[in-house]
Amino acid sequence: MKFFIDDLPVLFPYPRIYPEQYAYMCDLKKTLDAGGHCVLEMPSGTGKTVSLLSLIVAYQQHYPEHRKLIYCSRTMSEIEKALAELKALMEHRAKELGHEEEFRALGLTSRKNLCLHPSVKREKSGTVVDARCRSLTAGFVKEKKERGEDVDLCVYHENLDLLEPHNLVPPGVFTLDGLSRYGEEHKQCPYFSARRMMPWCNIIIYSYHYLLDPKIAERVSRELSKDCIVVFDEAHNIDNVCIESLSIDLSEDSLRKATRGASNLERKIEEMKSSDEEKLKNEYTKLVEGLQEAEKAREEDQFISNPVLPDDLLKEAVPGNIRRAEHFVSFLKRFIEYLKTRMKVTHTISETPPSFLTHLRDLTYIERKPLRFCAERLTSLVRTLELVNIEDYQPLQEVATFATLVATYDKGFVLILEPFESEAATVPNPILHFTCLDAAIAIKPVFDRFSSVIITSGTLSPLEMYPKMLGFNAVLQESYSMTLARRSFLPMIVTRGSDQAQVSSSFGIRNDPGVVRNYGSLVTEFSRITPDGVVVFFPSYLYMESIISMWQGMGILDQIWNYKLILVETPDAQESSLALETYRTACCNGRGAILFCVARGKVSEGIDFDHHYGRAVLCIGVPFQYTESRILKARLEFLRENYRIRENDFLSFDAIRHAAQCLGRVLRGKDDYGVMVLADRRFERKRPQLPKWINQAMLDSETNLSTDMAVSNAKNFLRTMAQPFKSRDQEGISTWSLADIERHEAKRKTEEERMMREEVNGNMDGVIPSASRIVEDEFDDDIDEDLMMLDAQ
Amino acid sequence: MAANAMSRRDEDEVCPVCKSSRYLNPDMRFLINPECYHKMCESCVDRIFSSGPANCPVAGCRKTLRKNRFRTQTFEDINVEREVDIRRRVMQILNRREEEFDTKRNYDDFLEQREEIIANLVGRIDVSKTEAQLQKYASENMASIRANQTLEQEEATSFQARISLEQEQARIRRQAARQEYEIERREVQAGREDFLTRLASGTSGDAAAIAREGHKVLLKKSSARRSEEDRIRQKQAALRSEPARGAGVSSAADTGLVKGLRKIKTPEPEKPYDPFMGYVPEKRDYYSLQESYPSQFLDNYRNNISVLAGGYDLREYYSRTLLEAFAGLSCFVDEEITQRDAARASKPVATEGAAIAAGQSGTESST
Repeated sequence: MKFFIDDLPVLFPYPRIYPEQYAYMCDLKKTLDAGGHCVLEMPSGTGKTVSLLSLIVAYQQHYPEHRKLIYCSRTMSEIEKALAELKALMEHRAKELGHEEEFRALGLTSRKNLCLHPSVKREKSGTVVDARCRSLTAGFVKEKKERGEDVDLCVYHENLDLLEPHNLVPPGVFTLDGLSRYGEEHKQCPYFSARRMMPWCNIIIYSYHYLLDPKIAERVSRELSKDCIVVFDEAHNIDNVCIESLSIDLSEDSLRKATRGASNLERKIEEMKSSDEEKLKNEYTKLVEGLQEAEKAREEDQFISNPVLPDDLLKEAVPGNIRRAEHFVSFLKRFIEYLKTRMKVTHTISETPPSFLTHLRDLTYIERKPLRFCAERLTSLVRTLELVNIEDYQPLQEVATFATLVATYDKGFVLILEPFESEAATVPNPILHFTCLDAAIAIKPVFDRFSSVIITSGTLSPLEMYPKMLGFNAVLQESYSMTLARRSFLPMIVTRGSDQAQVSSSFGIRNDPGVVRNYGSLVTEFSRITPDGVVVFFPSYLYMESIISMWQGMGILDQIWNYKLILVETPDAQESSLALETYRTACCNGRGAILFCVARGKVSEGIDFDHHYGRAVLCIGVPFQYTESRILKARLEFLRENYRIRENDFLSFDAIRHAAQCLGRVLRGKDDYGVMVLADRRFERKRPQLPKWINQAMLDSETNLSTDMAVSNAKNFLRTMAQPFKSRDQEGISTWSLADIERHEAKRKTEEERMMREEVNGNMDGVIPSASRIVEDEFDDDIDEDLMMLDAQ
Repeated sequence: MAANAMSRRDEDEVCPVCKSSRYLNPDMRFLINPECYHKMCESCVDRIFSSGPANCPVAGCRKTLRKNRFRTQTFEDINVEREVDIRRRVMQILNRREEEFDTKRNYDDFLEQREEIIANLVGRIDVSKTEAQLQKYASENMASIRANQTLEQEEATSFQARISLEQEQARIRRQAARQEYEIERREVQAGREDFLTRLASGTSGDAAAIAREGHKVLLKKSSARRSEEDRIRQKQAALRSEPARGAGVSSAADTGLVKGLRKIKTPEPEKPYDPFMGYVPEKRDYYSLQESYPSQFLDNYRNNISVLAGGYDLREYYSRTLLEAFAGLSCFVDEEITQRDAARASKPVATEGAAIAAGQSGTESST
């Protein structure tokens, strides 16, 4: 389908388009034209990705600037999906236009997912793959080889050097799989092909971290130009991603390993001193001159890069007291020993970076400035020593990163030292959390650097929260509702059980047998009336465990068992994926299944329950965060002090976005249908915070139901949905053809013209400008009185 | 070294002196003496050193230890413990500050030098020489060491004060937020109750009106609270931005050990006002004017009334003649020309040659 938005021809790969997709594209274009950031909330399952891609590709191809698109998504499967979607789109465009456009799009993911080297790719852990890859591809390894030493090189990586550097892969769209296959055929490394081709790509699709995590972003995304269009899809959790990218946890074990790493370094330095002192001297003179910048020739094989954001980076020479390699190692050792002494505490401590630094200086005479250069100095040293088995130095690198961060940022960070893992634990297992509290710190360079940043997801309500938390101004904030030809989802709030007792997961009554029984009967009833799959979300693993064991005692599980197969999500990823697979099988073969999972777990985030995989979703309790956590408390206080977001506002916002995310899992398209139940009395008050599309579909009569009423509603709903429904019925209402778009456009135009004309008329009259007309309206009563007086006279 | 043997971790369960283990004595505490850093348990220290100074009981170590110097170990690694002790001592002496140096480079060099000294002391390389250097430096720069120490202390105390002030403010803000929340909750509750009682007492006709009004009142209250909140916040922001006290810069003399220190500039005492910018009117460089000079042709005029009547003064004549005779004596044209040539080094050769020629002719004419 081809249509015009203003003067921009858009090719859409499907014959029909949803009205909200059309509106979304129009707004997107407005934002791109205006230049600025925007927040767009669009219901899940309404083809957000494809509308986004088709508009931006059209935009790129039509305007001479050819602005590059950086599309960031959260998980690998989402990246793969987006790439596949893009591929289909480009094929459609080629067919419509009659020629292939000069166009490149690549996805980037970790080495672990893309590696082709026969032995390296068999490694399980990502860090090991990275380290082994570096040991085969680093610049100095190659130099050694040229000198005639016997070292291993990766043939896939070597082959890249034989190709033209700007034409490693032919134009076109490559999915991650496709890129791997191409690499296998041509014996070239897909990871490095993708990385080196990035400057020549029209579209880059990768994970958030490549842009947000300063450790990676500095290396991967440095060369992207300013006019790139940056899209964060599924961005409802973006604040947490930002925070995690700047937070570090250190345990006693990692400190021990770091000590070992430091001793290894010391030994290596000794070795090098006896064999090849020249290199150390060279490094030293470079550091003295402050030339460390010049050494960034091949940043691909950098061990770690500076964790500090580019804005805060010091452009100075490394301070004198860590200039010599042996001094630096003793400096690191001292720092690690200091951290070890801090680990011996018996009560929780929370501290700001300045007070930490003062204490550090009092005890070990380590000053702030050398600490700031720690990460950079370590990188330089590792490069000089030409270390190969880099994974051994991982903990040391963490310590160095921590040192640099703690010395750089005064505000927005907090150190929390927890000696025990949980409240009840007696064996100390101290962890030092260095937590970022301010999501705006990590994302600020992105907003500063790129002119258009688009934040979009299915659940972003309340929209104004995101600009506030991330510290930017949005030119456009929009939430789209879902146009439906029939009511295809039924959101309900259940506040009472069948016995009219209120249900809630609030701390006081969550383990009350009556509440547990009511929740149990709710689940039983829904598993009885719903066909195929049912998904149940609990606020936490802890609560899920306790409620399931109570249900077991009450015989509720036995009842559910009659209707559905019961499967449970666990923190273990492999177990959960097995459970999920079984769930899918049971849904497909008609046995039906019920999946118990957690609102903040893996299932709630990335997994879709489309069609028969999810006909009903129950959200048991409001998924609040664990408020006793020190880190959360610190963050709440920070938000209150700096962004004026009150504790309760943030907590309820966070809970509702997770609940909405859970609800969105079952509805993945317009021909899909499902029941959504929010089972907690507190949801009734929080209803306005739900995304617009859910809120609009909820009738007022369905916000305060008891279990039996909800069940009878759902039964009716499911019966209606079971009636045959032709796609023709949707046409013109929830799906538009080209004619519909034109009609809509014409209508909009006439509307606009009418408005214009009215305005013109108003101005033509000239006597009463619009403002005064309003004033006049207010005094309408007076005029009437005047008239009456006239009448009386 | 014996100290190296001590650093192994698995030994910390058994006292190396009396061999009693933690199993027998669960509250065993280990102490060290900064003299030799040998670790021993508390009871050993009591046993051996209670009656006065004694030799270290560890075989091969002949250091004399005193009981009052024993202390608990801060760091797990005994080498680090020792290094930090040495560092403390050195840092107290070599406590130059960054602002005392001319360039950053000099400061960095100083830092490296200090690190070198510490490393020497820790590694027992050239200990006596380094110690002597340190002692010398300490005695020579007593004043600046003192000054920097007090400066450091001042900084530490002001930092402490600032931190505690900030904490106090944060506490107040937290309390205020809690109170505010409490007030709001109570207000909402009161409003709701009020609304209910009015509904109960009113007629069925004006129920809708009451409901609308109640809603409006709540909204107004919340907006009023918001503005109040704004005001408080601004006040707090003003409090927070209290200017921090800047650290004073002290000056120091250049010394033998530390290089690249900034020169001290003692401000010159203020001179009396000089209207001629250094020119003294009656000053003569090469001669002094006398009352009279013996000269025959002037004698005629000395007493000639007809000459003197018009105000002619012979002294005036002397002074002018002498001035003319000595004028230009301190000007050296040669020097000035070479200077000028150096300044115009980039000038083409031909003109340079011409200038030299001109200069030569100039000197000739002057001589």
